[in-house]
Amino acid sequence: MDFGYTPQQEALRREVRQFIRDNMTPDLAEEMDVHANAERPRGTSPSAHEFYRKIYERGWLGITYPKAYGGQGGDRLTQYIVEEEFTRAGVNIALNGSGAPAIMAAGTEEQKQYYIPRLIKREISFCLGFTEPHAGADLANLKCSAVRDGDYYVINGQKMYTTAAHSATHIYLMARTDRSAPKHDGISIFLIPMDAPGITVRPLWTIQNNPTAPLPTTYGASRTNETFFDDVRVHKSCLLGEENKGWRVGSMGLNLDRVGASRYLISVRRDEDIVNFVKSTRFDGFEPGKDPAIRDKIAEMWIEAQVCRLMTMRSMSIVERGGKFTYEGSAEKVWAPEHGVRTTEAITQMLGPYGSLLRTSPHAIEDGVFAHNVMGSFQSGINHGSVQVMRDQVARRGLGMPSSRKSRKAEG
Amino acid sequence: MANCPVCQAPVDEAAAKAQTGMTPGGAKEVDPKMGTRQFHDGTWYYFDSLDCRNKFTRNPDSYLKK
Repeated sequence: MDFGYTPQQEALRREVRQFIRDNMTPDLAEEMDVHANAERPRGTSPSAHEFYRKIYERGWLGITYPKAYGGQGGDRLTQYIVEEEFTRAGVNIALNGSGAPAIMAAGTEEQKQYYIPRLIKREISFCLGFTEPHAGADLANLKCSAVRDGDYYVINGQKMYTTAAHSATHIYLMARTDRSAPKHDGISIFLIPMDAPGITVRPLWTIQNNPTAPLPTTYGASRTNETFFDDVRVHKSCLLGEENKGWRVGSMGLNLDRVGASRYLISVRRDEDIVNFVKSTRFDGFEPGKDPAIRDKIAEMWIEAQVCRLMTMRSMSIVERGGKFTYEGSAEKVWAPEHGVRTTEAITQMLGPYGSLLRTSPHAIEDGVFAHNVMGSFQSGINHGSVQVMRDQVARRGLGMPSSRKSRKAEG
Repeated sequence: MANCPVCQAPVDEAAAKAQTGMTPGGAKEVDPKMGTRQFHDGTWYYFDSLDCRNKFTRNPDSYLKK
């Protein structure tokens, strides 16, 4: 078992770093930033498209996807290395959360041929229309309805926390197609263009807005959205998988979406930053890197980050080998966000009172990025499946425990 | 003009749905200051704020009986 990288993989890492240094302008960095931008829809400008085109030409987008669908037919470790370097630079090139894994698993050949190459090239992007105001983490309780009308479905309802609805070209929508069926059995998934008549986006501002989090903030988008559907007519070809079988497609897609480097890397980016900050900073003759308490804490956080990295590697390995992937992504989804909360809080404690000041204060350290990271870190424990729901999945799928009364009720 | 089911404040339904912009993906954008709405049992209800909408969501029947 070798956990190291080959010389070829190390050379690839250096090549990616050099590419980023050569091509990333400050303006592009602001637009492409993983978490901090709100008013500028991410990756939609001509310069962003040109940037993606260059990355694609290098063979660094869709590395693990089949060549028949515009991918590279490569391995997950290569993808991990490339993703790691782009994430350090604040750019998300992963297809996690894109809908692509679910389309590959459940889509028709026509859907794969249309969507996968375009998703890889970033010509299109999906936002996820799952959560509703009354349903919260209990996704199966959704009420957004899709009623069959000949070759079409008519959709009415709303979605909450549709992050990226203000920049996406499509929405990956979960809607109820049979109101009389048990709640998990009457759900379907639709792939819908955002310009379909009747779709409305209303901004929701998060704790990372006002003041807007500074550029290198690692955690938490400052804008998410409500999305409304008023008599939206979509052709039956927009259905992903079978009608009324969407719960399985959606759950499987969400689980596969969790595989990859991004959850580990958003924490690592902050861990690496604080190590560099502590090593290179002096306060009135005090060198924090020599303080035993600070050294202990940073070492502890680094160890936690490595656990997170190993969990990520294991998930990738299981999926790469075609193994059964059930609770592993959920375990990762508990560990990584909670590590993020612990590490961002520890960093502000190490920095003292000034570390808790937001960017609006003239005394804030590094434009308040550490304080903004604390606030944003809590979001990552909620979005894409809360850590509470993830723990329940680990208990049932990983440990074979019976459903709790609450989860039985939630799942019908 | 509708009334918020929670606080009874007037809500202009047309303004809450009126287009104020368009996303790069082509969806209609609205002004969040004009209120929000909730699709409940096949009907849209309008609210002056998210706070009121959240209260309604927790227990809609208590507000619809009023």
